[in-house]
Formats: sequence, C-alpha cells, structure tokens
Amino acid sequence: MTETTLAAMDELAIQRAKSGDLEALERVYRAYESTVYTLGRRICRTAEDAEEVLQETFLEVCRSIKKFRGTAPGSLTAWIKRIASSKALIRIRYEKYRETDELQEDGAWAGRGDGDVGLQLDLEQAMGRLSDTSRAVVWMHDVEGYTHEEIAELMDRTVSFSKSQLSRAHARLRRMLGKEVQC
Amino acid sequence: MLRHCTISELLDLRDGEGSAWARSHVSECEDCQVELDRLHQRVAALKALPSYSPPRDRWPVVRAALVKSRWRAGWQRAGWGAFAAAAAVALIVTARGLIGPGTPPLMAQEVTDLQQESVQLEDILRQVEGERRVLRGVTVAVIVQLEDRIAIIDAGIATVQRDEDRVTIELRDLWRERVTLMDQLVVTHVQQASYVGH
Repeated sequence: MTETTLAAMDELAIQRAKSGDLEALERVYRAYESTVYTLGRRICRTAEDAEEVLQETFLEVCRSIKKFRGTAPGSLTAWIKRIASSKALIRIRYEKYRETDELQEDGAWAGRGDGDVGLQLDLEQAMGRLSDTSRAVVWMHDVEGYTHEEIAELMDRTVSFSKSQLSRAHARLRRMLGKEVQC
Repeated sequence: MLRHCTISELLDLRDGEGSAWARSHVSECEDCQVELDRLHQRVAALKALPSYSPPRDRWPVVRAALVKSRWRAGWQRAGWGAFAAAAAVALIVTARGLIGPGTPPLMAQEVTDLQQESVQLEDILRQVEGERRVLRGVTVAVIVQLEDRIAIIDAGIATVQRDEDRVTIELRDLWRERVTLMDQLVVTHVQQASYVGH
C-alpha cells in the first residue's frame, strides 16, 4: 500500500478506530501489516519473530490508538513504526540468538583493494550475517530514518553506541559485499 | 601522514556531520569519493529491498485478544458485581429457603455449586492463558465464539438478577450454560497447548 493510500486511510478510519470500532481497527491492520511485518523481518532474524512483532505491535496499536494525537500526514505511520521497532528491539534483546559471527574492529578502510570478493554475498544475506544489534541499527538509521539519538533511546543505549554499531556494520557489509551494490 | 577516511568519517559526511578535514580530504581523494559513493549505493539498495507479506493472517489473533480484554474489562466492571450479587442471592435463598413456587428445593444449592465451578474454571483458564503461545486461526475463531456466548450469558445473568431477588429456573439454566461454555473454553485452550507441545 502506498503512502498516499495510507494517508487517505488515516483521515477516514482513524476516528472510528479510536472509538474502538473493530472494523476500523482491522482496516488499520490491513493497511500496515506488510509495513510492520517487513520491519520485523529486517530487524529480527526469523519469520516467526517477525510474526510475533506484527501481532504484538497491533495489540498495542489497537489498545493505545485512542491516545494517538498525531494529525500531520504520515504521523500514524511513524507512530506504528515506532511501536513496531520497539517490539522488534525487545525481541532481539531478550531472545538468546546465536551471533553468527564477530564483528571486526572499525578502522580506516585505507584504500584496501575491493574487499573480500570471495565472500561476496547479496545484500539480504549480508544483512543476515550481521549481529542482531548491528542489523537493527543499520535498518533503523539508514532505511527508516531514525536518528542516532532516537535509536539510543529505543535501545536504551548511548548515541556513541549507535554510531559505533552503524560504522562497524557498514565496514562489515563492505567486506562481505565486495565491490559494488547494484540498486 | 596521509590517510584515508574511516567508515565512521564517511558516515558522518553522509549524514551532514563530517569534519572539515574529512570534507576537504574527500573532495581531493578519488578513493574516498568512490567509497562514499558505495556507501550511498548500499543504502539505496537497502531501501530498495522488497517488502514482505506476513505468511499468516494475524488479525484474528489480535481481534480475539481485543475482544477478550474487553470482555474481561466488562466482566470486571459488571460481571464480578453480578457474580457477587448472584452469590449473595444464592446464600440468602439457601439460608431462608426462599425457593419460588414450583422450583426444585435443591436449586439454590445447585446454583451455588455452579457458581463455584465457574470460578474454578476461570482460575484454570487464567493459568492456561498465561502460557504465552501462538494460536491457530481455527482455534482463535472457536475461542472468540465461546467468549462472545459467555458474554451474552453474563448479560443474561445480570438481567435476571436485577429483575428477580430469588433463584429462578432461568438463572440456574444460565449458570449451567455458563459452566458448560467455560468448560469448552478451557478444553479448547488446553487442546491448543497440547497441539503446540507436539
């Protein structure tokens, strides 16, 4: 569903949803289920966790929507995404995931050739090989547009932690992806 | 000593926070320009990754949880009051023998027993529901249906108790129906737990 459609739905359905109308709440769910599930898939490691994120997010959305005060276009999207991000971060914080590999120290790339071409992976695979925390920071900062301050608040960590995770993740992505990433 | 920008410095530049040195260096260093371009390309590629669709419809589960929480909230507001009133009526009826004409003499006791059984089933249900797990769509539908029926029965009990100050056949039948439905609800939850256990 496009942002335009989402914005139109905001105006029409949000008041009914706020009053607890189940049909209107379902419309909100249908409009955002893919957005929330995708966010869950990108931050969490498994599809099952993403489903849990989806379910937990909408339970909170449905229970809290009467408190939602946003009026600006896209504010409902931002509000729902923030809840989803929070739920996803809670999952990766408490789930005892096995880290797939250790991140290497961030340093100057110092003009080293083209990285480990033999290890070249596609972007999704490479993201999957990052630690849960690094992957979450990359996704939230570079794709969802959260600032390091916002990420630090959501993760209950410091701004420098968020920045350090981002740069280490990019250093690792660069090594795994090799020369180029084609859009 | 000549050095290239670190990834951190390039990220800062990308985010508009780079140092004067880094900005100056990148403007003159072809290697760092290429690296900054790659960073932009990587982020663009991340943004272009496809969306996913959830493999299963989770709305029935969310809806069931909402209905359940509303049912509980309603029960807490009115139902427990109704339950307490029913218990009080049953107690008075038992104590005074206020059994209406044409009603079996043991009916008041039966209602009291049904109320106690209902409380026990509520306790079991709370324990079973406390075990966090994913529900199947079919199970959710059954649970929602049972909970809706129980809510209707509760409304009926409250109405009968408001209109009658004694135990009636109608009240007893409503409590019987409530216990039957509660029993089915518990069994449904337990069966789901067994299924997940496999």
